[in-house]
Amino acid sequence: MTSTRDLVSDRRDEYAFHDDIVYLAETKRGLTRDTVEEISRFKNEPDWMLQYRLRAYEHFLKRPMPTWGGRLSDIDLGKIVYYRKPSEREEKSWDDVPDKIKATFERLGIPEAERKFLAGVGAQYDSEVVYHSVREELTKIGVVFMGTDQALIEYPEIFRKYFGTVVPAEDNKFAALNAAVWSGGSFVYVPKGVEVPLPLQAYFRINGENTGQFERTLIVVEEGARLHYIEGCTAPIYATDSLHAAVVEVIALPGSKVRYTTIQNWSNDVYNLVTKRAHAYENSTVEWIDANTGSRLTMKYPAIYLRGENATADIISVAVAGRGQHQDTGAKAVHLAPNTRSRIVSKSVSKDGGRTSYRGQLKVSPGATNVVASVRCDALMLDDESRSDTYPYIDIQEDDTTMTHEATVGKISAEQVFYIMSRGLSENEATNLIVQGFLEVFTKELPMEYAIEFNRLVKLEMEGSLG
Amino acid sequence: MSTAADAAGTTPSIPRPARRGPADVPFGFPTPALAGELAARRGEPDWLRDERLAAAAAYDALPSESNLLYTPYIDLRGASLDGVQPYIVTASGPVAGAEGTLPDGTAGLIELREDGVAALVLEPSLVAAGVVLETFASALSRDDAGFRAALQSGATLQLDDKFAQLARGFWNQGVHLHVPAGVKVDRPILVRWAVGQPNRAVIGRMLFRLDEGASASVVEELVPSVTGVQPAQALMAGTTEVILGTDATLAFASIQDLAPTQIVFQHRQALIGEAAMLRWALAQMGSRLVRSRVDNRLEGDRSEVEQVEILFGTEDQLFDLTSYTRHVGRDTTGNLLSKGALLDSARSYMKGMIVIEKSAVGSDSFLGEYGMNLSKKTRAVAVPSLEIDQPDCRRAAHSSAVGPIDEAQLFYLESRGIPPDEARKFIVLGYLEPVVARVPLVEAQDMLRELLEEKWAAGLVAPSTAA
Repeated sequence: MTSTRDLVSDRRDEYAFHDDIVYLAETKRGLTRDTVEEISRFKNEPDWMLQYRLRAYEHFLKRPMPTWGGRLSDIDLGKIVYYRKPSEREEKSWDDVPDKIKATFERLGIPEAERKFLAGVGAQYDSEVVYHSVREELTKIGVVFMGTDQALIEYPEIFRKYFGTVVPAEDNKFAALNAAVWSGGSFVYVPKGVEVPLPLQAYFRINGENTGQFERTLIVVEEGARLHYIEGCTAPIYATDSLHAAVVEVIALPGSKVRYTTIQNWSNDVYNLVTKRAHAYENSTVEWIDANTGSRLTMKYPAIYLRGENATADIISVAVAGRGQHQDTGAKAVHLAPNTRSRIVSKSVSKDGGRTSYRGQLKVSPGATNVVASVRCDALMLDDESRSDTYPYIDIQEDDTTMTHEATVGKISAEQVFYIMSRGLSENEATNLIVQGFLEVFTKELPMEYAIEFNRLVKLEMEGSLG
Repeated sequence: MSTAADAAGTTPSIPRPARRGPADVPFGFPTPALAGELAARRGEPDWLRDERLAAAAAYDALPSESNLLYTPYIDLRGASLDGVQPYIVTASGPVAGAEGTLPDGTAGLIELREDGVAALVLEPSLVAAGVVLETFASALSRDDAGFRAALQSGATLQLDDKFAQLARGFWNQGVHLHVPAGVKVDRPILVRWAVGQPNRAVIGRMLFRLDEGASASVVEELVPSVTGVQPAQALMAGTTEVILGTDATLAFASIQDLAPTQIVFQHRQALIGEAAMLRWALAQMGSRLVRSRVDNRLEGDRSEVEQVEILFGTEDQLFDLTSYTRHVGRDTTGNLLSKGALLDSARSYMKGMIVIEKSAVGSDSFLGEYGMNLSKKTRAVAVPSLEIDQPDCRRAAHSSAVGPIDEAQLFYLESRGIPPDEARKFIVLGYLEPVVARVPLVEAQDMLRELLEEKWAAGLVAPSTAA
């Protein structure tokens, strides 16, 4: 039965490395007002951004640590390096990327991926975007895809108009932290009516022990435009804990369609505390396709505020938690306008003592008439060491809402495993197949290359659980 | 506060309360001094005095909502109870077995008012069989040691709940029902509370103990002792504490139709033994604000609980209902259903938590929370949560839905010649019928149906509900 192990080799080591990079600029460990000012100085930012950072910093200090969700008390905020710049300037061409960094990306297969089908690559190495390439045709049709820092300089009007409007610095403690010390992340602007023909993709990585990564992504999709954005991440494994507190803001203007796909596979020492939120205007569609397999603790609830009539929200959230992991994930749909629709589907798998929690909110505000909303969460527990929770908040303040919510928790049925095994597969393969089938609602939304990669990830996760 | 008793006779006044936060406790009478005074003036033994003082200390220390999951959802602003005081000494009333007339179809009756017991009758054959229906005061004088064992250290009340500790420390009325092993009480026992005097608090505990193989049914009627507009609010804080031995069966139905100036805090806690069965049928209609909590602990193997709860809210009523079900034994069953219909600007919070502990192999647990918002200004919040530590279960699921009246059903009824208003009534009352059908006393069923119809008619008169 264990012979099938050979079919799936454990390739985790390939992603668990640490290159010794000479850091050209980094702040001292810990966070003070000076740290914030220093980061802003490094970046030569306009004064309004410095003031914004300082305001956020003050709020961060005032705001208590959340007492719900996962265990946050182990994070030592004083030990983290809040800013680290691996190379002096942003690279446009692959040839100019420093060799050491290039070696890292080559192991991730980025250039190959780019050759294949990628429209652009914004690869983040530690706290700065170091490599960025945008295909010429995208530039021609007016799509902007660059590092957020660069966008602040090059597109100050668009930037200032939208930055911090979806996730204000005061939103939560970690959004405030991000607003104070953010660096890196992607900026995407899709002009009116433009359809981005291929998914835009960014690879994220954390390197360096105790490096905080506080990227900030801002995506503005103008009227009638369409965009699919993909982020996936791997990270080196370290004994002490890293903190990742990102903020992603998406503005989907009337009639636009935005899909944001994430495969989160941080190493199991990372705290992944992310605020992702989109504003959907009339007739627009926003989709979060979100998978979490890595990290020690993830607290992430991609949100869509349906601000315009006939807007549609679709959130698929998938989580896999193994030993020592807690995936506290979910989704939020806030209906603020009439005739809006939302669908939330959550699938989680816990095993080897891991814990998955679905935490979601569905809100229908007064005035949001004729809303149709559904929430479905299913959890699979592979052993009785593991734990699964469901915490849905449903708040309906209109009289013509149609809302349904369903949740189930269970284990893989012995009958199913037996049936598949009777067809000549091993127990491990059978279980793999069932788990992959359970998560298919997510996988089928991915481009093929990603679907293959994701299924492989699931297999790797499953390896330790049987035999 | 030592003037509690003196304040009893003073004219009610409505002092304008200072502006409070949503979760601030709307009264100040529970002090350690009052707890001591209750014990002293009621001539209670030292252990009970200590018990009250311990509870008073716990009451002081606990937050009004101990469950962080629900923190945003406690709202006590509708209560204005600065002037309320309980009676210190209450009349014990006639002793059990005394001559009296039983209502049709019942086997026992106890009727309580704020100041004492108005009636207490138990069928002689039951008295002969050893069934005891008495006040706490009688129980203390009859069997101090036995009663002490049942009450001490608050095992039958939620220790983490401020308002459960309120009842433990400050009760001034108590009902004790004990059914010895093997005794089957074939007709329901009626417990009637008639309360609502302005500025008056009644804090009542009910303890139901059914020994091995015993069975009984209890119908609780909460009715107003006042009519018309009241100058001030009144408080009822009550408990239902249930201990079911092996194979014991209890059906408990409650019909709450108190005055619009009534504020109600209810706690129900059940310890369910091996193969024992508890059926709750709870109907919430009256009062300005109801905060209720039910805790079911499925301790014994094959124990079972069925809980069906309805609420029908109009005007500015607020129902804040929480239920916890904890599966501990093997092959236990929990079946919980909550249904709410809201008119005008009524609000409901239905919060449920199912916990399946690691020991609870083979659990079958279902929680359903359904809402019908019939007016624009209503608000229905549902938080049906699950915490699962044992995946080997028959079922662990919840579902929730909120929707308007089904147009197809309406059309069908209208096509049969039923006028629209009548058809709407049929649909709503039919939706609430599951609880009515579970009330174990025909007379009480009829009463409940009448009350629902009256309430429906009254709700329709309100201008805000004009279709």
